[in-house]
Order: sequence, then structure tokens, then C-alpha cells
Amino acid sequence: MLKFIAGFLIGVVLLGVVAFFKAGSFMFREVESPYGVEETAARIQQNIQRLESHGWKLSGLRDPSKAVAATGTNVLPVLLVEACSTKYSGPLLKEDETRLLSILMPCTITVYKKDNGKTYIGLMNAGLMGKMFGEKVGAIMGEVAKDQAEFTKFNPDEPAPQLIKIRPGGGGAGGKDVGGC
Amino acid sequence: MSIPRFKFFFAGAMTALLMISGAAYAKADEPQAAAKTAAAPAAETVKKPVKESTSTADHTKFKELDKNFKTGPEVTKACLECHTEAAKQVMHTKHWTWEWINPQTKQKLGKKNVINNFCTSVQSNQTFCTACHVGFGWSDDSFDFTNQDNVDCLVCHDTTGKYKKIPGLSGHPNYKAMEWPPHSGNFRPATDLKKIAQNVGKTSRQSCGACHFFGGGGNAVKHGDLDTSLINPPHYLDIHMETDGLNMTCGDCHLSDSHEVSGSRYAPTAVDNKGALIRGKRDGRNPTTCVACHGNTPHPKNAKLNNHTDKIACQTCHIPEFARGNLHTKMTWDWSTAGKLDEHGHRIQIKGSEGRAIYDSKKGNFTYERYVIPEYTWFNGNVRYTLFGEKVATDKVKINDFLGSADDPNSRIWPVKVFRGKQPYDIGNETLAVFHTAGKDDAAFWGNYDWDKALTAGMAAMGLKYSGQMKFVETEMSWPITHMVAPKEDALECAQCHKEGGRLQAIQDIYMPGRNNTPIIDKIGWTLALLALIGVLIHGAIRIFASKRG
Repeated sequence: MLKFIAGFLIGVVLLGVVAFFKAGSFMFREVESPYGVEETAARIQQNIQRLESHGWKLSGLRDPSKAVAATGTNVLPVLLVEACSTKYSGPLLKEDETRLLSILMPCTITVYKKDNGKTYIGLMNAGLMGKMFGEKVGAIMGEVAKDQAEFTKFNPDEPAPQLIKIRPGGGGAGGKDVGGC
Repeated sequence: MSIPRFKFFFAGAMTALLMISGAAYAKADEPQAAAKTAAAPAAETVKKPVKESTSTADHTKFKELDKNFKTGPEVTKACLECHTEAAKQVMHTKHWTWEWINPQTKQKLGKKNVINNFCTSVQSNQTFCTACHVGFGWSDDSFDFTNQDNVDCLVCHDTTGKYKKIPGLSGHPNYKAMEWPPHSGNFRPATDLKKIAQNVGKTSRQSCGACHFFGGGGNAVKHGDLDTSLINPPHYLDIHMETDGLNMTCGDCHLSDSHEVSGSRYAPTAVDNKGALIRGKRDGRNPTTCVACHGNTPHPKNAKLNNHTDKIACQTCHIPEFARGNLHTKMTWDWSTAGKLDEHGHRIQIKGSEGRAIYDSKKGNFTYERYVIPEYTWFNGNVRYTLFGEKVATDKVKINDFLGSADDPNSRIWPVKVFRGKQPYDIGNETLAVFHTAGKDDAAFWGNYDWDKALTAGMAAMGLKYSGQMKFVETEMSWPITHMVAPKEDALECAQCHKEGGRLQAIQDIYMPGRNNTPIIDKIGWTLALLALIGVLIHGAIRIFASKRG
């Protein structure tokens, strides 16, 4: 019996250790892009616009590296593509119990360069996160995850689109200057 | 809908785990973060005015300059009334001759002679290219290099920022109002030569940059470490030129003597171990090096870093990326796609995501990048060029080759921008081909999009008959990276090189701790570690056993 309890406790500790070190990679995904930072962000924006039927609208483009550079420090380029869909945000914002999840809005996809010179795309693992918050949220976030996968599918035969420099908080779903979600 | 509490609890626990792991990572990064914070006092510094003139002469008071000049040479004539030797001095410099013979390789270099993989050659295109010549009127081989009035004083000494030499005018500014760029609807007023002449002064980042920031046909295009972001650079971009900091000009490093400006990409100083340069000392050394100011042991608190200087150029660590001024530099140029027109026979121009042209009927396809991670190469200061007329293989022609190796004590690992292109090759002559790009004549490629005519004219200007057969070959050209020096806190960190797949992965002929391993030494090490562990366990067991026995 003692051996069983000890084994169980060791298992729990090991699980905790694995969760501690791997939680980040469960929550977020990173994929390499074949394009530069600007072109990757522009292609994601184009894909988002193509899913307008799912309620998606661009709601901002941020460059957080500029703020760091303004303090005198050099950092590699980062662009945050922000988008929101009222089709998905509406049901979550309607209920007191899920309104807290507005913290995840707008949906942000980050595009950045690493020291190896390659460009990467960072995404929240919307599907897994949603499952933690019950059936309804899980179903909504599952749909978001499917759309996210479409955002990062690129057709190399298509010409590079222009980057849309939309002011964060401007534009977005719901009409001009509603501010995103 | 209600969310099960245990799921909120689980989510909370996961969030806590994330925060703890985040805190752990943050703690590991603390020294770096503290260092970065220390590097950020720029916002607190008092805004200094742009460098004010300390000249003892007010040129507005000179009667020689109180004239309504009609042309540039008239201004030069007035300058030379006081600065009697200036033009003669300029005439001895590369800025005037566009020619330089490398004493080691004996190659005849200079803009007039080399081929590159941007617009490829000055020959037959002087009318346009000489917008960056320190002279007036160089449109063909008949240009008089001995006429002092042809020297352009204003292009370097203008302080107004209003003096512009327009491509296509053979080195002259526009004396009448003209539309520029063509068909843009923007009109440049006639150049006010009197005002500019009365406001001359020392060279500045802006005056040097008027040409050097626009190499290759546009802002930031050619060098990667030179663009207009250096006119008023912030702290992170260039620690030497920072407007609110040292505010150094190009001339502070590129010291000149009798108008000869030090520092050259044709023969860069790859290694300088002569220590800090004493002011006034003239020993023929290049005063433009890092060592000339910072000395041989520039890291007073870290001897390990000083030990690196026998293999690593300062620039390798202190210029972590180039094109950091948020301007994209051109990385590739494919001439083979040039000449495509739309269904109406008009020129096509396509912009890329970053807002710069990625296709132009006149020039072909380009790619651009900012914050470029340099490539690295051994370099001993000698550069061998592939010159016109030299027979070359058709696969990946190296237009210039940075010489050096790990076992050469005069070599250091240098950061370079490698510019890759596809450009015309004369099959019959087996040489890189020169073509006539710009001009109002029928042979100019930018007018007729006819390669045969353009190549015939270009090759003729070089004194060679075009064979009539051409193809496009891949070419590479390297450019040393020496500007955009980052604050010391932003220099490369050890782990950026000392790891597998690190910055110096391409440098394979040296042993680098953290990157290279020797299997036998690894085995010996692990065996010793295992034996030590066994020894500890045995020792512990004996101690326990002995204590139980009393």
C-alpha cells in the first residue's frame, strides 16, 4: 500500500513538473513562415478578410518593438495582427459567467523574427483553452481555432498583399471605429 | 450557461503555473533586463540642438558669393577665389576619379571600373550615375577631369539640405523648375545656388548621406547599414551618431586630409592592432577603425571579451543586425524578369507588403528586408573583384571575394551583407555583360526594353563587341557592415554564437565551445562523472554501514 501511495505521489509530482515546464507550449503555438515579417502579417490580414462571412474584421496592427526602441533598446521586429468576430465574441460577452473571457479579445496573432533570421507566427491554442471553460465556450473556441488555422494557410502563387496599417482600436467588427469586438 | 467551478479552478491553476514559470524565466533574464533598463536613459537626456556651426567665417558676408549664379561651375569658380587649392586636392581623390588601383592585387577598381549586381555598371550610363559624382558635366568619355570649375563643392558642403543633383543631368542640379520623379506631378523649384553657396559648411550626416544613403538607386537599397535613418538616429540605432548623444558626423571617423576621405570598401582595414590613434600623428594608418579610438583592449571589465579580438571584428558583436532604422534594404535583384509590360504595353510596378517596389518592368524583381541578420566571413582586408572582360563560370559568380581564413593571423570574422542577383552574361565572350540602362536614346533598356540593343551599347562602351548571345547568371556581392553600431547592452550575447545553429554556424574551420564537441572527450568526461557518482554512493554507503556498526 505504501509503495502504491509513494508511486502515486511521485506520479503527481512528475505531472506537475511536466505541466510546469510544458504549459506554455500547450497554450500557444509557434509556426515558421516562409515570408518576411511584413509579408506574413499582410497575408494573415488578407486571410482574415476572406473570412468575413464568419464575422471576422481586422481591428488593429501593432508594432510593440517600436515602443522598446523608443526607450533606446534594439529588438527584432514584431507585428501584432488583431482581429475580432462578433459571431464568436457576442455569445461570450452576453453572459456574466463568460464575460471575463473578453480578456482574450481581440484575437491577436503575432508575427516576429528570431535570431536565426527566420519569421515565425505565434498563435493562442484557442481550441485547448476553450475546453477548459465548459461546453459552450469550448464549442465557440473550437470554431475560432478552425478559423485560426485558415489565417495561416498561405498560397505562394498569390502576390504579396499590402500591409493594412489599421489603428488599434479603430475599425473592426461592427463598423467604422467601433474598436474591434 | 454556467462554467463548472472545477474547470475554473483548473484554469486558475494553469494560469498560476504559467505565472510561476514566467517568473522563473523572468528571474533568469534579470541581469540582461537590468542591463537593458540601464541602456534606456535616452528619454531623460536633455534634447540637444542639431550641431551648430562653429565656423569663423560667415559666407553670407563674402562678396564673391553675393551673385545670382546660373550654374554650378560658376559657384565653384567663386569658391576657388579663396580656397585656391581645394579643387586640385579633390581631383586626387576617389570621389573625383572614381578610380583606384589596389596596390596588392593590382586590380583597377573604383566606380568607373567595377561591375556590381545592382544597376551593374557606370559605363554608358554616366548621365544618370554621375548624380553622385563630385563634379559637373560627366556624361561620357569626353569629360574634362582637369577643369577645376567642374568640381562640385556644394554637393559635400551644402548645409541647407536643398541641394540635389538629379539623375539624368550629368551631375548638375536642376537650374530650372522640373518635374521629379518624372510623371510624378511633383515639381522641384530651380536650385537657389546663391543661398546654398552662402550657407556652406562642414560635411554632415545629411550631406554625405545625400549620396551614400541612396546607393543602388534608393534609400537604404545598397549597403544595408547606411540610410536616412542615420540623419537623426535614436540611441538604439547608432551609439556614435545618436542625435541626443555623441552626435558624431561621418567625418568624425572618416577623417579627411586634403579632401582625401579615409576609409574605403575597396580595401577595408580588417585588422587594426596599433592602439588608439594619437591626434596629429600621421603614420599612414587608417583612422576610421574602431581601435583608432577604443584601443586594443576595449573591454576594461571583461578580459574574456578582449581575448575575442584576435578572431572577431568589433562589428560582428556590436552590429547585431543591419537595416535597423525601420527602412528595408534590398536583398536580391533579378534582372531576368525585367521587361514585362501590361496588356497596353505600359510599364508595370508592383509594391510588396512593406511598401517598396518588388517588381518594376525596368528592373525586374526585388526582395527587401529590415533587421537583417548578417552573414559572417573571414576577412583579411583584401577583396578580389571579378572585373569586366574576365572570363567567368556561369554558376554563382562572386562579383567580389573577401579573402581570409582561420589560419591567417590578419583575418577576423566580419559581418557582411551578401547581395544576390541575376544579371546578364555574354555567352560568346564568357563575361558578365554591361548594358546601357538609362538615357533618351534608342538603345537604353529603360526606354525600349530590348536586351540586345542595350547590351550592344553597353559592351561597346566597355570596348568589347557583344556576341549576340546572352543569358542570366546568379551573382553574389558582399558589403562589409560597419555602421549602425548598437549600444553595448545590445551587442551579441555569448549564446548567440556559442550554440549549435548560432550566428557563426557558417564559420566551420574553428573550434567553438558550445557549438563543437569531440565525442572521445565527451565520453571521457561522462565516464569520469559517472565514476565520481559511483564513488560518492559507495562512500556514503560505507559511512552509513560504519555508523550502524557503531
